[in-house]
Amino acid sequence: MRILRSVRHKVCADGSFMKEFLLDTPLTKEFFAYLGHFGTVEALPNVGEGFFKLEKPDWFSIKGCAGDTTVEVRFKKEVMDLTVDFVYFLFVSYQEGTVDLSVLIQREQAIGERVRKHLHGA
Amino acid sequence: MLRNIPKIYLNNAATSWPKPPEVLAVVTKSLSLPVFGSGRTTGSHGEDYVTIAREALSRFLAAEPPEHIVFSHNATDSLNILIQGFLTGKQEGCHVLTTALDHNSVLRPLHEYERQNRIQLSIIPFDGCSVRPDAVEAAIRPDTRLMVMTHGSNVLGSVQDIRGIGTILHDHGIYFIVDGAQTAGHIPVSLRDLPVDAYVFTGHKGLLGIPGTGGFYLRDPEAIAPVRFGGTGTDSFSLLQPREMPERFEIGTHNYPGLAALAAGVKFIEERGILSIAEKAEEQTSFLIRELKRAATITIYNDHPDLPIVAFNIKGLQNDDVGFMLARAYGIIVRTGLHCAPLVHKTIDGGEGCVRLSLSWCTTDEECLIAANAIREIAGNADSQVSPA
Repeated sequence: MRILRSVRHKVCADGSFMKEFLLDTPLTKEFFAYLGHFGTVEALPNVGEGFFKLEKPDWFSIKGCAGDTTVEVRFKKEVMDLTVDFVYFLFVSYQEGTVDLSVLIQREQAIGERVRKHLHGA
Repeated sequence: MLRNIPKIYLNNAATSWPKPPEVLAVVTKSLSLPVFGSGRTTGSHGEDYVTIAREALSRFLAAEPPEHIVFSHNATDSLNILIQGFLTGKQEGCHVLTTALDHNSVLRPLHEYERQNRIQLSIIPFDGCSVRPDAVEAAIRPDTRLMVMTHGSNVLGSVQDIRGIGTILHDHGIYFIVDGAQTAGHIPVSLRDLPVDAYVFTGHKGLLGIPGTGGFYLRDPEAIAPVRFGGTGTDSFSLLQPREMPERFEIGTHNYPGLAALAAGVKFIEERGILSIAEKAEEQTSFLIRELKRAATITIYNDHPDLPIVAFNIKGLQNDDVGFMLARAYGIIVRTGLHCAPLVHKTIDGGEGCVRLSLSWCTTDEECLIAANAIREIAGNADSQVSPA
């Protein structure tokens, strides 16, 4: 799955920085299940074709509806420089069927260290 | 948005959409004709859209004379001109009143002047959905010189008792600026009869014009010093700003397409009748509230708004998630968050924000029904607990 373009940006009331991404393929329930390896996914499956939201505290949240090609990502502003690449990596690494999570998890751990230091000190 | 879901636009308190066909047509026409600016450019083919708009606003708001209608970029721009102009030359540290219902277009300029120690600011809380005149009276001090407040809350849809408050203020010799961004075009306003010194409007909301227009009515121009200076196309040998109205405040080239649109928007409202528009809006707003109240998990913040605004939250869901679902899954455009009115939200929802539906002249009954059903469907799912993917 690829991010085709970032269509809207704004600073939200909670201080997060929101970006809306246009994707090359529609979102699926399986995609959010995959995201669930990196945070907590909540779902309202009966709203439209399903509403899903990944929360990765201190990093970002990703919300979208199944069948839609737009997602909204809210970054914690203080560490956005550290985490934004990981969001792109999450999308581009996803493909239908089996996904090798080991590289993603290694990368997550490396960034996680830096995020923790930045937000909470050593 | 998902596939081809039709768009239902319920964010008219931010900016109204769609615009009447007459408004769109006159924008095209104005751009296709040579500019006619009195005192600047003349020609037999142009229309004097600036004067047409000024006369339209003067008539519509019962604000005489027309020259005391001043055009600006928008309501926020107008408020900045008026507040800064009022404070120019005043003793530093005078006391100013505003309310917790107000928009950042009022709060931010006043807080900036407070930060600069140019004013002392008191913010009057609201009770229910309104600011009580006796609360205003209680907040007045011997050094109170100015009050700036909203005519209608952009979150709660409550119209304030401007007459009662203005009467008290004038009894104490306090200057009164009213922000009519949410009321102009939605309810009848007769400035001839109201104890208001300056009334601010915007062109792109209830008045059905396009963004980039707004203005204010000023009863006594001498009370406000000009804060912008430049060319007016008049009295050009003078190197000082003209004192006459509206050149005292209007500088540079006007927004001709915007003012043409504003005049057409006002004409559209006048032809249909503002009371008729308001009555339809009231029926639809009441319908929406009645329907939403059928869901026990929906909290509505004003059961009886005076303006076509419905503010609510769904228990167990964040307001921005509800807005996202409405937009992406149902094609319903609403506004979520703080609506640039942070103090209202601190009072009603702990500063979390809410979902706002706001209707216009063209909102249909069917659209209201679809929106109510969608919101209740979301609420029904929230009630059944959020489940993991």
